[in-house]
Amino acid sequence: MGRYFFLLVNLLVLLTMLLAPWAVPMREFDGTGYLLNPLGPINPQGLALPEGLTFGWIGPVFVLWILLLLVASGVLFLPNAESRARGLYVLGGLGLALFALEALLFYQAVSAANEAALAAGARRPPLRRFALSLGMYAGFFYSLALLLLARMQLPGGRAFLVRLRGVVVPVFSLLLAVVVGALVVAVLRPGLGTEGVEGVGLRELVAGKLDLVTYTFQILFSPILSLPGLFNSLAFATPLIFTGLAVSFGFRAGLFNIGAPGQLTIGALFAMLAGVYLPLPGWLLLPAAILAAALGGALWGGIVGWLKARFGANEVINTIMMNYIAASVLLFMLAANEYRFFGQTVRLPFKAEGFEGRSEEMQEGARIPLMIHILAPDSTFSWALPLAVVAALGAYYGFRRWELGQRLLLTIVAMVLGFALGGLLPGFPVTISSALASQLLNGSFLIAILALLFYNFYLFRTSAGYELRATGLAPKAADYAGVNLKRKTVLTMVIAGALAGLAATHYVLGAGMDGTYRLKTAIPASVGFDGIAVALMGQNMPLGIFLSATLFGVLLAGGVSLNAQLGISNQIIQVLQALIILFIAVGGLLPRYFTDPLRAAQIETEAKAEQEARQAKSAPAGGN
Amino acid sequence: MEIVIALFFSTLRQAAPLLLTSLGGLFSERSGVVNIALEGMILFGAAAAAITVNRIEVATGGQVAFWIPWVGLLAGALVGGLVGLVHAIACIRYRADQIVSGTAINIAALGAPSIVLQVLYNNTSTSQEVVNRLPNVPLGPGSVSILVIVAFLLVPLVWWVLFKTPWGLRLRAVGEHPEAAETMGVNVIRMRYTAVILSGVLAGIAGAYLSIGFLNQFIRAMSAGAGFIALAALIFGKWHPFGVLGATLLFGFAQALAIQLQGGDILPATIVQAMPFILTMLVLAGFIGRSRPPAAVGKPYDK
Repeated sequence: MGRYFFLLVNLLVLLTMLLAPWAVPMREFDGTGYLLNPLGPINPQGLALPEGLTFGWIGPVFVLWILLLLVASGVLFLPNAESRARGLYVLGGLGLALFALEALLFYQAVSAANEAALAAGARRPPLRRFALSLGMYAGFFYSLALLLLARMQLPGGRAFLVRLRGVVVPVFSLLLAVVVGALVVAVLRPGLGTEGVEGVGLRELVAGKLDLVTYTFQILFSPILSLPGLFNSLAFATPLIFTGLAVSFGFRAGLFNIGAPGQLTIGALFAMLAGVYLPLPGWLLLPAAILAAALGGALWGGIVGWLKARFGANEVINTIMMNYIAASVLLFMLAANEYRFFGQTVRLPFKAEGFEGRSEEMQEGARIPLMIHILAPDSTFSWALPLAVVAALGAYYGFRRWELGQRLLLTIVAMVLGFALGGLLPGFPVTISSALASQLLNGSFLIAILALLFYNFYLFRTSAGYELRATGLAPKAADYAGVNLKRKTVLTMVIAGALAGLAATHYVLGAGMDGTYRLKTAIPASVGFDGIAVALMGQNMPLGIFLSATLFGVLLAGGVSLNAQLGISNQIIQVLQALIILFIAVGGLLPRYFTDPLRAAQIETEAKAEQEARQAKSAPAGGN
Repeated sequence: MEIVIALFFSTLRQAAPLLLTSLGGLFSERSGVVNIALEGMILFGAAAAAITVNRIEVATGGQVAFWIPWVGLLAGALVGGLVGLVHAIACIRYRADQIVSGTAINIAALGAPSIVLQVLYNNTSTSQEVVNRLPNVPLGPGSVSILVIVAFLLVPLVWWVLFKTPWGLRLRAVGEHPEAAETMGVNVIRMRYTAVILSGVLAGIAGAYLSIGFLNQFIRAMSAGAGFIALAALIFGKWHPFGVLGATLLFGFAQALAIQLQGGDILPATIVQAMPFILTMLVLAGFIGRSRPPAAVGKPYDK
């Protein structure tokens, strides 16, 4: 059964290679492209490539792929598992090499054509939008699948996958979500380059749709390819880290915190009040404002925790209600200056003048600088941050013998000293492009990293965190072991709320929304919901949360240009998130031993027993 | 007196979508499946109804006909039921965490309609206004949408189905003690699928009421928490049709009052808008009576 499924996959890969564009050397702004394919280029709009640019090697390479597919189909039917594995490993390696060769040939040809044109006096390179495409990606992913399949042939293969289930389930869910998202896009939009052209054949239509889908995801992922794009992605990721942590923290204690949007809103309100109105000296103001953000979120989360602990009120609905209430409170504070209460006029000072609902500007001391100004103030590279990181890591890993509390204290001291010392060191001048200088990534990102570290240490290195996780895994057992469940519930919601509230440091104190140091009623509180996807995708692990927040940051950054180029709403990212949540909830449609820890343990035990039996067989003369 | 009458009709109009949704949720939760996705199902239903009616109007050249809004209603119910099916497959077949699955649907309901709207109307937040709305029926000194009448007539019907028919008995058994129900020969899985899909259909109808009955277009996130309030009404109403009727009337009254107070001198609109949500929290905290959920609610069923 598994083998015939593999044959079907091979057929599918072959079909994709036949129909899909392999690479696109040339593309207009609206997406119309010149599509390369082994059966000849697909070019319904009649774009003209520069003279002398040919891709004749695609045909022969395609023949090699066909051979590879055929051999792979045969290899899986070999009787001996070892030789199956060896064959598949070799084929997978060959496939990867073939993909690398294709990529090399393509990029060389394109850059040669560009150079030739520039040498001939062109002002701009003629080929500016070029990329590999689905046909080649199919080969790449197929080769990776072959390598995985090879590992699966060897003993303990299934246990190997099950052990990695923390990665397998989210990644597989992501793939499924991408496939469904691609289907949605393909259904809703006409294929690229085929709209309004007379006499388009079926082949052009299919290729156009596949090109549309591939290009959509290329645009979505494109920010990782440039430094400004990366900064932009991390700017989008910063609040997601906070809200992802807020949701994860609840999950760890068995609570579902859907209230991150409200907690963020109230955190932002508190941060604004502190940042605008607190009469504190500069060096104290920023810490106070950051603390206020955490406090606001903690209050909003804590109310729900208390209601649950005291009255058993369901936290899911309550956090949702608190989101709506928080939105009302924000509007009340910032949408107008004057209100009528029972006929009396009440004036509020918070809304700044103007049509838009926004607060006054933060005081100078309450502003978090842009990341680029921390890394390179006045276009001079500063050693402060790098040295702080090195000193902190050195102190943390250099004093392994110390007790954790002292060790962390020392690390913090080392970090501060490193930062101060690094600031004094002479830097070197760097040039910062205007695209980079305009990115909104700010120091709040560093606070997010600290929050991740806090999450890690609190949950996995303290007894309070251990109790919290025990409460989440088995509340009755934790109760029996002496954990005060009610207090844990309140504390969890307080900390989760504080983490969500800290996201306000990005939007309000760091001007991460649009570059102005104000709180606006348009603050995108819905990133609190995105935190749910981040938490699930990151499997409630610190590194996982960071990676998934970054992934969504990249997608959000890419979504901005998607709308401009292809007329697809960037709401597609919200749909992708929903799909990822749904697919993770159903365990990626994988067998149950990937999601059920008991069954997973069973698989691993079986694999171990099998291995021991084999060892006993291969060394029969050993013991007796 | 005029204000009292206006408040009365406004309460009926506000309570109707809550009631429809809540009765849907009643089936789902009585069968043992938490349906936090009601909010999303309303939105999907509302979008489907408004877009369907608009497309028919475009195709027929703006024709006004008796049947057009009913097709829209059907589309809303169908799409709601389909979303219910997705939730059911996730929760029953794949034993997903019911709240996580529901949340996914709610998030999708914020994004998916926007993508379709962008393609059809080149705008991500509203659909085109429709001419063919669900008919109103006269009621005393005013008139209400026919779905309002339907919603209130459904209450005794649901009560009868749940408490006076064998199917209702089986449904309740499945939600209280699925193993016992299974030994008595009840198909637990099928009961749950039916109940969850039914809740999607009713929520979809509630959505259609919002977009082509109450208003004349779809607006992004137009349900504004109605699904969650319906869920709270379910808890407040002790998972009983008549209790749900009382609870939704209370919430509907709070919303109607909020609308009446808006623009007046008494309270600012932003605060008034938050009142139904605060009321919901007070209700959930048990300040206004305690209630016990079906015993097996939220738990996946293993044969």
